[in-house]
Amino acid sequence: MKRKGLNMEQKRNLTGWAFLLPAALLIFVFCFYPMVQALILSFQKGTGSAVQPAGFANYARILKDATFQQCLFNTIFYFVIQVPIMLILALILAQLLNSPDIKGKGIYRTMIFLPCATSLVSYSMIFKSLFANDGLVNRVLSTVGIPTVDWFQNAWAARWVIVIALVWRWTGYNMVFYLAGLQNIDYSIYEAARIDGASPLQQFVHLTIPLLKPTILLTAIMSTSGTLQLFDESVNLTAGGPGKATMTLTHYIYNISFVETPKFNYAAALSVFILVVVAVLSAIQMKVGDKRD
Amino acid sequence: MTKGKKILAHAVLILASFLSVFPLYYMLCGATNTSIDVVRGKLIPGTYLVENFKSLVANQNLGLAMANSFRNAILMTLITLLVCSIAGYGFEIYHDKAKDALMSVLLLAMMLPFVAIMIPLFKMMSHWGLVNSWAAFVLPSISTPFMIMLFRQASRSFPNDIIEAARLDGLSEIGIFFRMFVPIMRSTYGAAMTVTFMNAWNSYLWPKIVFQSNASITMPMLVANLKSGYSVDYGMLMLGVLICTLPTAIIFLCLQKSFANGITGAVK
Amino acid sequence: MKKKNAAALMAAAMAASLLVGCGGAASSEATSAAESKPAESTAESTAADTTADGDETLTVWAWDPNFNIYALKQAEAIYQKDHPNFKLNIEENVYSDIETKLITAATSEDYSTLPDLFLMQDYSYHKMVANFPGIYTDLTDSGLDWDKFSGGKLADSTVDGHHYGLPFDNGASVMAVRSDMIEKAGLTVDDFKDLTWSEFEEKAQKVVDANGVPMLTSSGGSELIIEMMQSAGASPVVDGEVKIADNAALKESLTVYKDMVDKGILAEYTDWDQYIASMNDGKAAGVINGCWIMSSVQAAADQSGKWAIVNMPKLDGIDGATNYANCGGASWAVSSNCKNTELAFDFLKSTFGSSVELYDDLLPNAGAISSYLPAAESDVYNQPSEFYGGQTVYKDIVNFAGQVPAFDCGAYYSDVRSALTDAVTNIVQNNADIDSEMQNAQDTVEFNIAG
Repeated sequence: MKRKGLNMEQKRNLTGWAFLLPAALLIFVFCFYPMVQALILSFQKGTGSAVQPAGFANYARILKDATFQQCLFNTIFYFVIQVPIMLILALILAQLLNSPDIKGKGIYRTMIFLPCATSLVSYSMIFKSLFANDGLVNRVLSTVGIPTVDWFQNAWAARWVIVIALVWRWTGYNMVFYLAGLQNIDYSIYEAARIDGASPLQQFVHLTIPLLKPTILLTAIMSTSGTLQLFDESVNLTAGGPGKATMTLTHYIYNISFVETPKFNYAAALSVFILVVVAVLSAIQMKVGDKRD
Repeated sequence: MTKGKKILAHAVLILASFLSVFPLYYMLCGATNTSIDVVRGKLIPGTYLVENFKSLVANQNLGLAMANSFRNAILMTLITLLVCSIAGYGFEIYHDKAKDALMSVLLLAMMLPFVAIMIPLFKMMSHWGLVNSWAAFVLPSISTPFMIMLFRQASRSFPNDIIEAARLDGLSEIGIFFRMFVPIMRSTYGAAMTVTFMNAWNSYLWPKIVFQSNASITMPMLVANLKSGYSVDYGMLMLGVLICTLPTAIIFLCLQKSFANGITGAVK
Repeated sequence: MKKKNAAALMAAAMAASLLVGCGGAASSEATSAAESKPAESTAESTAADTTADGDETLTVWAWDPNFNIYALKQAEAIYQKDHPNFKLNIEENVYSDIETKLITAATSEDYSTLPDLFLMQDYSYHKMVANFPGIYTDLTDSGLDWDKFSGGKLADSTVDGHHYGLPFDNGASVMAVRSDMIEKAGLTVDDFKDLTWSEFEEKAQKVVDANGVPMLTSSGGSELIIEMMQSAGASPVVDGEVKIADNAALKESLTVYKDMVDKGILAEYTDWDQYIASMNDGKAAGVINGCWIMSSVQAAADQSGKWAIVNMPKLDGIDGATNYANCGGASWAVSSNCKNTELAFDFLKSTFGSSVELYDDLLPNAGAISSYLPAAESDVYNQPSEFYGGQTVYKDIVNFAGQVPAFDCGAYYSDVRSALTDAVTNIVQNNADIDSEMQNAQDTVEFNIAG
């Protein structure tokens, strides 16, 4: 590369920019521009012709908002508990499906992927009926001799239902990315490791995870974003309840914009706040995970 | 792999598959039973499929919703794959500090709750006179940081030797992308296609907002309609849901081979 | 204008750059873009046609094919008798989406996506009119005969003396009970009429003991609590001021509710589908809700003859307590985007505003109980219902509806409901103190209003 003329280098650099320009432009126009609008909105009061400057009043409100704090807590809980469980499960399944001497891989793959293709309506209906007071889960629990749980009436139980539902729905989805990633790894590396006497666990930790690092970063970022955007499960599965015990941030922002007395300026302030927090989070993820080594 | 391990692996996979498929079975039972049987949790397939289908067709414009959903999802997938894969390739193959920084900035767009930008976005579309048009629906969703990132990460494993060799052969940069990268990266394209298709197929809120007319009804909207009445026909609903799920499942079934037998054979 | 052009140019340039960059695939995109054009232009042309003379098409949003959409189709047929060119273009939308679309349009001040007419839930009128007045056409001087609707129902869609909605369906609360289960306890359906909650609890306990199922099923949340409050006319918001913490009727409602849960008289299902299933499955001997719940009760055809409708119990020791409340119900609104308001007014006047013929059809075929008072005098309302053991349920419901006390949530119904749901949950699930939960709800609603 260094030997090449500066001219050539510049030309390629420009080609790179040309390649990514349409995509970047679209994101700037249809995402960042509205975001700036939201930022402006967050420093105002009222809508339409009755707009007034509000300084930091909307941000000050965040600190006093108990519902927001509850939703923030819920979202962090989902993030900390659900994301690792799901990604590890997905990795294990992908690893199993990648080994050459397992038969019927295509069928397994399709079946495990199916949950995320399932429409939200049916998925929330079945989870609600499975975890109902006299649903299948409680019936199984009582047969085994474990006390039954009021899944949707108890705050912690309801949060776990959401976690279980999310893991169920998205594990296969993440597995697909790992599978695609694993295809880029030559299987002979594993053969060599096995001859060297590496256990399956060692292979997993020392081969699969490092080699899949770009994909893992990708799914981690996707899950971070997914958790922040979490809306459907909160709305359809638990309606945020009991009380506000399972409500997510996005659900709350939707509510204060479209369900309760509308407070768009405050909703905008909340969004900006979330964005700032997440910007820091993903900066860390990128720093840790995006090294070209 | 020893026999014991193999059995264990199969056991894990069978368990995972069973748990995954159960809801589909539930849908299937629902679609073939009467509403009251669904409510009562009957888990045996029934004989009411034809009646449910008849009432579904009488109740909703199934053909139109299917056609719209397919048109939207297919076009969106094609455009998205093209725009994002070339961008991801551009970000990685020609990477420098500025491009890496830009990528990090773009990722922020993923973290923004859509409901927060929905109103400004609608204002923008309204200002441009695009409300009620296909452009308003499609423009905000074509380019997603996630897809760019997916192709950027995939490009990392694209061997540099191939690029150098192609350049020596006198292939243009864009030629390398289309003639070398695209065919070799079949597995990534397969995964990306499945995901984009699924997202486009299931998108609900934004199309609902920008389209006024029933003429643009999609399958998720149809399913939502089935559930919006004061008394719900659950048999019909389950059939609607089943029909809405099938295309994504079938697409996956067709595409999964491509990311199972992908790059390994092709490269070396 | 200039800005608009520049933006359009930019969009065009971007589209072009997409097309140029991509060789083979470009052609398919180009044709598809062209294909999508006709659909748009037809949409535009229908919108344009409405404004032109001679065209008599109105676009309407509603949400239930078996209920309000059916009603629209019947109304269209009736109006077409005198206006052969008239046409309704009915767009089915989930109700929450209707509100989302209205709000998005209003905040963008682009009303062009709105239909001519739409149906809106009564509880939303005050909130929507107060925050987004630009959506509506004032119906006060539209020539509709407001005297033919009950004052209580009209109040929901009347803001500052201006009418914004023409009442459609009735949401009078009913208590649907299983007559067979009541008889098994040695009681009769008549024993459950005109009760206070303490009398009710006593009798309900016998039914619970005899049948081994709760007397009532509840969908959780605060729906029933709000109905109980309303039955005593105890508004949670009076003249814009929140009256939750010191609301005696609310306190009594919460106390009774909690007591019933503890005694197994009332079972909570937080999920709607499970709630419906509990009625259809015989997992409860009754339910209290707006009369529209009857269509779900009737879904279990094999329980025909085993149900009866009575009024709900009233609160003990509360001034103004009655056996009547209301839950749900909707009214027709005319949007500000309606170009042909003459036609819209005349259509509403000739159908939902005056046609007994229409309401006579809607009762048996859609189960829609009218809030148009003269309709209730029609013969159809005197017909016995087989499902309810030959009871003249519709007459009874109309009778209930006439006695519902006035009740006001101001523009804050959703805020109140959400805050009370939290309170109920904490009281029932965590044995939280009723007074402090009421104070919390008061604080939450005040915090929301102060936004």
